[in-house]
Amino acid sequence: MTHTDNQMLVIKGIIENVYKYLHRRKEYINGLNVFPVPDGDTGLNMTLTIQGALANMPDYNGKAISNGEYLKDFAGQMLMNSRGCSGVILALYCQGLSEVIVNGDLSPANVHKALENGYKKAYEGIDNPREGTILTLMYEFKEKFGELMTEEDTAVIIKRCIPHLKSVLDKTPDMLPVLKQAGVVDSGGAGFLIILEGFKREINFKQSASGEVAASTLLHAIKNIRKLIQSSSSNIKNNHLGSLHLNGGIEKINNIRLRNIISDFQHHSGNILNKRKNKLLKDLKEMESSWNPHIQYRYCTEFVVKSDKISSQDQIKQLISGYGDSMIVLHSSDTYKVHIHTNKPDAVLTDVSKFGELVFTKVDDMKKQHRNFISHDTIAYERERSIFCIVSGLGFKKILEELGAEDVFCYGKKKPSVEQLVKAINQLKTKNIIAAPDDQDILMSLKYAASLCKSNVHIVESKSVISLISMLMAVSNDTNINSMSFIHQLNDIRYCGISRAIRETRAEDGTVVKQGDFFTMYDHKIICSGKNIKEVVVQSIEKLAQKENLVTLYKGIPAKRDNNLLPELRRVFQEKEFEEYYGGQYQYYYYITFE
Amino acid sequence: MDKRILIITADNLGLSKEQIDYQDIEILKFPIIVDGKEYRQSEEYNAAWLIEKYVKDGVIAQTSSIVKGELVEIIEANKNKYDLIIHVVMSSILSAATFAVAENVRKMYEKTIPIINIDSRQLATGVGNVLMGVIDIIREHENESDIIRLSQEMVKNTFTYMVVSDLNYFARGGRIGKAKALMGSVLRIIPILGLMGDDEDGLVVPLDKGRTYKQVNDKIIDLMEAKMAEKSVTNIKRLIMNEFGDNQDAVLDLKEKIKSLPCNDMMNGKPDLTAAVHGGPKAYFLAITV
Repeated sequence: MTHTDNQMLVIKGIIENVYKYLHRRKEYINGLNVFPVPDGDTGLNMTLTIQGALANMPDYNGKAISNGEYLKDFAGQMLMNSRGCSGVILALYCQGLSEVIVNGDLSPANVHKALENGYKKAYEGIDNPREGTILTLMYEFKEKFGELMTEEDTAVIIKRCIPHLKSVLDKTPDMLPVLKQAGVVDSGGAGFLIILEGFKREINFKQSASGEVAASTLLHAIKNIRKLIQSSSSNIKNNHLGSLHLNGGIEKINNIRLRNIISDFQHHSGNILNKRKNKLLKDLKEMESSWNPHIQYRYCTEFVVKSDKISSQDQIKQLISGYGDSMIVLHSSDTYKVHIHTNKPDAVLTDVSKFGELVFTKVDDMKKQHRNFISHDTIAYERERSIFCIVSGLGFKKILEELGAEDVFCYGKKKPSVEQLVKAINQLKTKNIIAAPDDQDILMSLKYAASLCKSNVHIVESKSVISLISMLMAVSNDTNINSMSFIHQLNDIRYCGISRAIRETRAEDGTVVKQGDFFTMYDHKIICSGKNIKEVVVQSIEKLAQKENLVTLYKGIPAKRDNNLLPELRRVFQEKEFEEYYGGQYQYYYYITFE
Repeated sequence: MDKRILIITADNLGLSKEQIDYQDIEILKFPIIVDGKEYRQSEEYNAAWLIEKYVKDGVIAQTSSIVKGELVEIIEANKNKYDLIIHVVMSSILSAATFAVAENVRKMYEKTIPIINIDSRQLATGVGNVLMGVIDIIREHENESDIIRLSQEMVKNTFTYMVVSDLNYFARGGRIGKAKALMGSVLRIIPILGLMGDDEDGLVVPLDKGRTYKQVNDKIIDLMEAKMAEKSVTNIKRLIMNEFGDNQDAVLDLKEKIKSLPCNDMMNGKPDLTAAVHGGPKAYFLAITV
């Protein structure tokens, strides 16, 4: 291994450890997220941005890479894997840093230049940069670093910048009114500081982030304090503040504004004047509305488009700026990464798709995320996306899992209730779920469950388990999943189902199907029936297998012990290829596919 | 062409010597280990022989890296006859040992004769494409830096699509890369594996999958068309196809479908023993340079 390999491993190790440090504190950062929208995902977005970049770094395979080159590649991956406003800003900042540090020079002068460039990139990349955000921390970092440049050691300068940045973070509520109203410091800024603390820790200085109070707890406490003030009682006890425990004194509350309100109220115990009372009530109302605001644009929409028809970032901005706000556009050669808050994500994606190929799309319902954020049983998401299939048979569960479904819920004989579905979806702890059932009768309850659960659920209107196999056959790589193109391949496999009549019925052509007869359902119609299952299957294959050469039987529970059908079919149809698998479905003896 | 240039490569090309329109070429033979015994490709021990042994005897086969002494022998015999030696080597990522041997020998002779090692980033049929591309380049260019630059560009525009009926053969050779995810499925699936010249990782990747050969052939055509669109080209410069003669229906179907693609030079290659080691029965390979 060369010397430069070692450098690369060191920088890689530092980034991985800083990522872990940030990951452990992501819920704290999420808990501060009120700007631009209180959707409680700043920590998650910053974490996923770094995680995605690490996961997609090239292997190098012993190739000598300097730390500067490694950082350049890492910054490139951050841009392509960035999530949410904070993730994009962080990625832009890293891109700016890496452009300077690519030369491998970590001297204070060069690092200062890099910090300036990082700030410039992040600032210029945003349409409406605001003070009191992560950008302010980035600005102050390069300023303070510049002041302390008499030191010779870059790491020591960074360490010395941190107390100053902490004081700047504490002042962010004075710069951005919405933070003050909510009683928090800026979440992106806090995340940025945690990253620096993680870096400091890596260079042997210990630091830890402070505790957290969940948004739901805060809202509950606000409500209770308001009641107390309205009744003019100063008897603030733990039980009156819901789950906001004050055992260690109010200094334990990390929400600055709430702490001040309680302190003020306690100070005027039992003798509160109307004027002060009204001021405190006004403060509480403001605080409540900042945590629970009207969300103007509901969907946080992100996409990557590859296009040779788009000549600049401005062209994209002009194209979609009318749809919403919080727009950020990044680009690298012919690839553009775009973030926008909008109420019409489909229209945005349709408009942009006319100019090139959408290789990644993501639409987060921020109202839903906000509801999760302020609820008492907030879900801490652990994954960004999952394909979730809902099936009856255990055999199919295994088949679908092996084809690429990350999560499969097997409901057995009875179709799942809304409650079961909500529970199953919430248990996934996944932000975006692509849910696909094996029966169209489940669609209604799934839609209702999706409206009740906390994740963003995209429902695939699949009608059978064969549709799910067809859909998953189209999933080969991340691009397929990110572009969601696979959901258009639901009906690529022709199939029929063999079942048994539980009462007399009549087929489309007038044929009577008697109780106990076997019959074949194809495209919602009975196409043949009879007393003998072999004869019915043979007739069905004769009718349905046209050019297709591969006939696959998925055996259900009613036919579990039937081992005679397959040899018979191979004897009758010698030119066809047959395969048989156990599906474990309850209603149909067999599903038969033709490929 | 004034400069006397010798090309060295190995027998994992997917082409016979007769199919290569270049006189000054030496082809090394990869050692193949079948059930612990070493073989080299010959009239007797060829791809069809190994496929038959796989099916009938269930043998286990592996490849080994090229032998340094054999490479040195070629260079010793030719160092005074040529001005430049170009060695087209299989992917340095898939066989670091083979590339290390080539680099080691280059350094040994750096004061005697210039040697350029071209990392094809390919195996099997794709190496053949890169070799043919290098020959095209040296017919037009003699300057070493031009040859290196143009070869690197051509390597990035070379793509191999491999259809295998059983991924275990790839897995045994340790070359399965990200395609491992497709292994062990209950449902029989036919994977399309790729070695994409423009993929920085240079690993074997799963590109798509199907349940029938007709499906995977359609998908291969779609993949190639998408790659042409991505690279903004209207023609394939060269296409080489290889198969072992044991999956005729599928291969004929693909050959028929390929006719729809605009291609300057379409070749039916000669399957080699190393491709048989990794591909196993019923496999077929197709490589394009755009």
